Amino acid sequence: MVKPMDSEYTLFIDGKWVDGGGKKFETRCPANGEVLATCAEADKEDVDKAVKAAWRAFETWKDVSPQERQRMLLKIADLMEANADKLAMIETLDNGKPIRETRGVDIPLSIDHFRYFAGVVRAEEGEATMIDKDTMSLILREPIGVVGQIIPWNFPLTMAAWKLAPALAAGDCVVIKPSSETPLSILELAKILAEVLPPGVVNVVTGRGSTTGNYILEHPGFRKLAFTGSTEVGYSIADAAAKKLIPATLELGGKSANIFFPDCPWEKAIEGVQLGILFNQGQVCCAGSRVFVHEAIYDRFLNECVTAFEKVKVGLPWEESTQMGSQINEVQVQKILSYIEIGKKEGAKVASGGYRITSGGLDKGCYVAPTILDNVDNKMRVAQEEIFGPVACFIKFKDEEEVIKMANDSEYGLGGAVWTKDLNRAFRVAGGIETGRMWVNNYNSLPAHAPFGGYKKSGIGRETHKMILEHYTQTKNIFISLSEKKVGLY
Amino acid sequence: MSHMITKDTQVEEIVKINGTISYFIQHGVSPISCSGAFPQSLGNLLKIKKVVDPDAFIEGLNEYIAGMSQNPAGEKDGQSA
Repeated sequence: MVKPMDSEYTLFIDGKWVDGGGKKFETRCPANGEVLATCAEADKEDVDKAVKAAWRAFETWKDVSPQERQRMLLKIADLMEANADKLAMIETLDNGKPIRETRGVDIPLSIDHFRYFAGVVRAEEGEATMIDKDTMSLILREPIGVVGQIIPWNFPLTMAAWKLAPALAAGDCVVIKPSSETPLSILELAKILAEVLPPGVVNVVTGRGSTTGNYILEHPGFRKLAFTGSTEVGYSIADAAAKKLIPATLELGGKSANIFFPDCPWEKAIEGVQLGILFNQGQVCCAGSRVFVHEAIYDRFLNECVTAFEKVKVGLPWEESTQMGSQINEVQVQKILSYIEIGKKEGAKVASGGYRITSGGLDKGCYVAPTILDNVDNKMRVAQEEIFGPVACFIKFKDEEEVIKMANDSEYGLGGAVWTKDLNRAFRVAGGIETGRMWVNNYNSLPAHAPFGGYKKSGIGRETHKMILEHYTQTKNIFISLSEKKVGLY
Repeated sequence: MSHMITKDTQVEEIVKINGTISYFIQHGVSPISCSGAFPQSLGNLLKIKKVVDPDAFIEGLNEYIAGMSQNPAGEKDGQSA
């Protein structure tokens, strides 16, 4: 196969490709272990250069009209579309996710995100209020300045789009760090951005979290931080933001409840279990990892899910017929297998999968079979901790009250779903669960135009919707006296 | 292989040692996520995870790694946790 990426990438700072001061690192395809490219690691000085470039760019970018920003966002989307096949294959090779997902989900959603915010930016308006007949209050939104963004490896390009599109729409400049596991699609995106945006508006610094990531957190030049990743790292981001007295938006972990009632749309519901936990190999922060099934249908539903899971084709991610690809790396595989062992010791039974796949030419990659753990109690560790793999924990429930209580017995609150044809029940359950997103009769649908974010330890702020612009802007109030008279106090 | 882990050791260095992830998970501390390896020291991770006795955790980790060095094949697939 001809690899569609370059063999070497540097840092993208101030509109130029520059060497980094840190060690170089390799990025590998998790599906077969092959080296894909060598990347540069940004050291403290590189991050500083990126921040300074962003501030220089901000001097003019902040005054670019909404019409012009819209035009540029649309141009970015068009260029991404023109390069969609290349971006999809790079994402597949760098991440291990199936090509049918990158072509059908990751890349189209990323493109649409830029188009959505291109539309939103033209509809943004301030407010004017007459406080009394002589006093007017104008409320305007202004860009916040230079933003530091750190994104994860599970949806590299999509997460970049979630962060970059609103920041650019708001008039901010950005220093963004992709995961060192999956930097390639963002570096390719930087080539597109270089064709459209003025130098310095977006700067891409690559490197490890413990180096480049921490330099971003330590740098005093940011006015806002945006992060998607684990709750543990989220604490560090929030701490860094607090020390600088700047805002942070955080999209963190989850252990979401996927709830099935006897009147669920049956065939769609079976697929809904798969969508919830097998999409992206289960490496999804809002994965439907706790599958609550009503006792009246539990046995039949479980059996049909087992059959469905066993039909899933796990394979090389670039093959069109592959439905589930590789986990991100060897350590992730070990983590998943460790949790399966813990689940067994806790009393869960493996109804499907539960093992690593090495046959069929998959011996060099990181493949885990679609797994169902039966007989799970919601108190078990496998039902409380984020496994981040294709492991569904099946839990039986008897009524609405019990399932809502169990679903809420989690430190997280990011996603979740209820499957039923009873609209009243759907509203009751969706309303009763402490989570930022409840799907009804669908799962893992994440288009722009619907806000996404977490309750509890799943985060702060909402993305994928125009309301994120409030986080990327600050409020200016212009308070005007229309009277010619003195106040008369002095 | 001789690895002496302390509270100051970077987590990303620890998870490079084959099999250590199983020890972490067994003890209720996930050192990796979609952000990659926790980007700070082990001491900071244990503090965030509110581990009651971090010294015992680290001592156990060092013993685990020493045991792994004597029997590396047994941990290959993370099954021995």
